[in-house]
Amino acid sequence: MRAPAVGIQHVTRPLTRFRKRPDAAIVLGTILVFLVFGAVDPESWFQFFTMINITRYAAILGLLAIGQTIVILSREIDLSVGSVYGIVAIAFIASEPTLGVPLSLLAALMLAAAIGLLNALLVLRGGISSMIATLGALFFYRGIIYVTTGGTVMRFSQGARAHWLTQAFGGQWLRLDNAFLWFMLIAVLASLVLYHSRFGNHLLAVGGDETTALARGVTVVRTKTIAFVACSLLAGLSGIVTIAQNPQTHVTLGMQLELESIAAAVIGGTQLGGGRGTVLGSVLGTFFLTAVRSEMITLGAPPSWYTAFVGIALLLGATINTVMARRSGA
Amino acid sequence: METERAPLISLRNVNLWYGTVQALRDVSVDFYQGELVGLVGDNGAGKTSLVNIISGIVAPTSGEVYLDGQRITSFHPKLAIDLGVETTQQSVGLCDNLSIARNYFLGREPVRRIAGIPFIDLGKMRKEGRKAITAFGLRESVDVDGEVALLSGGERQAFKIARAVYFRSRILIMDEPTNNLSVRERERVNDLAVQLKDQSLLVIYITHDIFQIHRIADRFIILENGAKVADVPRNLMSAEDLERIIREGVGNDAGSPRSG
Repeated sequence: MRAPAVGIQHVTRPLTRFRKRPDAAIVLGTILVFLVFGAVDPESWFQFFTMINITRYAAILGLLAIGQTIVILSREIDLSVGSVYGIVAIAFIASEPTLGVPLSLLAALMLAAAIGLLNALLVLRGGISSMIATLGALFFYRGIIYVTTGGTVMRFSQGARAHWLTQAFGGQWLRLDNAFLWFMLIAVLASLVLYHSRFGNHLLAVGGDETTALARGVTVVRTKTIAFVACSLLAGLSGIVTIAQNPQTHVTLGMQLELESIAAAVIGGTQLGGGRGTVLGSVLGTFFLTAVRSEMITLGAPPSWYTAFVGIALLLGATINTVMARRSGA
Repeated sequence: METERAPLISLRNVNLWYGTVQALRDVSVDFYQGELVGLVGDNGAGKTSLVNIISGIVAPTSGEVYLDGQRITSFHPKLAIDLGVETTQQSVGLCDNLSIARNYFLGREPVRRIAGIPFIDLGKMRKEGRKAITAFGLRESVDVDGEVALLSGGERQAFKIARAVYFRSRILIMDEPTNNLSVRERERVNDLAVQLKDQSLLVIYITHDIFQIHRIADRFIILENGAKVADVPRNLMSAEDLERIIREGVGNDAGSPRSG
C-alpha cells in the first residue's frame, strides 16, 4: 500500500495544510457569511453601528466559547458556564455596595475560579463524568440565582458605573467596546498558550490520548483542573463584562449561553472527542453565529428564529467539519 | 553478567492488588545495566503489572522497589521518566492528534524565553524530530509536522525508541513492541533493542513470541499467575523448554484454567 506515503508528501502543500486545519470550514464560512450579508444588505451591513452590535455580543459569547474550547480540547465539557456567567455577574453587582468595585470584582472572579475548581474536583476526584457534574452545577447555580435574587433586578449606582475599573470592562476605546478588546486580547493569549506553551502541549495531549499523556509524565489531573478553572474564569469575566456594560441583572442572565458556547466551539471545528480544535475557530464560530443573529434582527425576523438557526448551523457545521476531517485523513 | 554488580532495579517481595484481584504475588527480581531481559508468561501472568510498577504507573500494594540502591517510595510516570525509565507500549506513547515533533518532546518540551515568557521551542523540536526520522530509518517522506497517525506500526516503535535514546534513558521497557508488525519491521525493532543493550541500557522486553525473544535476550523471567516461577540465563534453557513451561505451567496448578 503506497497510499499513506502520498498523503504525507502532499502535507507540505499549503492548500492541503489549510484543509487539514480543524477550523478550515469556519474560516471559509465566516468569510462567506460576511460577503453574502454585505451583498444582500449593503446599506446597513457595513455600517459601524451594525458592526458594533455584532462585536458587542460576540465578546460576551466569545469569552465563553474560548473557555469552552479549552475544556473540550482536554476531552471534557463544561455545561455550567451559563449559570456561572449569571451568578458571577450577580455576585459582582450584589457585593459592590459593601465591597466597592475593585474588591467585588476580585470576589466575583474568585467565585468563578472556585466553581471551576469544584467542577474539576467532582470530575477528576469524584469520577463523575463532566457532562453530569457540570449539568448538576448548571442547575445548582441557576437555582442559587433564583433564591438569592428572588427575581428582583439589581443595578449599579452611578458611582459604580463611572468607576474606572467598571469602565475598563464596560467602556470604549477608539470607538470599540472594551469588552471586544478584552475578547480579542484573551483570544490571542489563549492561542499562544495552547500552541506555544508547555501547558498547551500537555492539554492537547491529554485531550488526544490521556493514557499516553500520563505515560509521558504529563500531570493529567492538574492540566484538566487548570482547564476547568480557566473556563469558569472566562465565563465569569464574560458576566462581569456584561454587567459593566449594562449594569442590571435578571434571573435569566446567561441562560442557554452554555449551549451557544458549545455550538460556537463545534461550528468552529473543535472536536468533542478532544485534542483537536483552535481558538481561532471558536472565535470565528462566535462571529458567525453573532453576525447571523444581527442580520436576522435587521431583516425583521422574529428573535425566536435565532434559536432554530443555531441548531441548523450546529448540525451543518458539525457535518461539514466531519466530512472535511475525514477527507483530509485527520 | 557478573553477580558482583549491583542491580539497577531491584524488586523485593512485591505484591500488587487490583481490588480483590492479586496481580503480583511476592515477586523479587533484579535487573542489571546492559542486559536484555525477556519477561514472558501467559496472558494475565502479571508481566504488564510488573513493568507498570517500574514505570511508575501503579504503586505496589506491599514490598520494596529499589533503583540504584535507593528505595522508591512514590510512584508516578513523571518520576520514573525523570529517573531514566522509558516505556514503549504498542498502543501507548504517541498522541495521534499531535505532530511528530510535538510527540518527540511531549512532557519534556524545550523552552525558549522571549521577554522572559517561556514559549516551547518548536524550531528545536522540529530539528531533533527530523534527525530521529533519518537516524531511525523512518521513511524519508515522513513530515515532522505531520500527525503521527500517518506512521506505520514499525515506524511508531522505532520513533519511540529514538525518543528513549535521545533523552538518555537508562531503562527501556518494551511491552509487546512487535505486535502487528511486518517481519521486516519486527527484525528492525529487535535490532534496535539489541543495539540499546550494547550501549549499556537495561532493556526489559515483554513478548508472547518465545522463539523471537530467545534469539536476543540474555535472561528470561517467567511469570505465572502473578508469581515469578523461573529466572534463567539463555544458555541454560532452550526456547522449546521455555515455551513448554509457559504453556504447561510449573507448580501445583499446572494445566488448570487461569483467572485474571
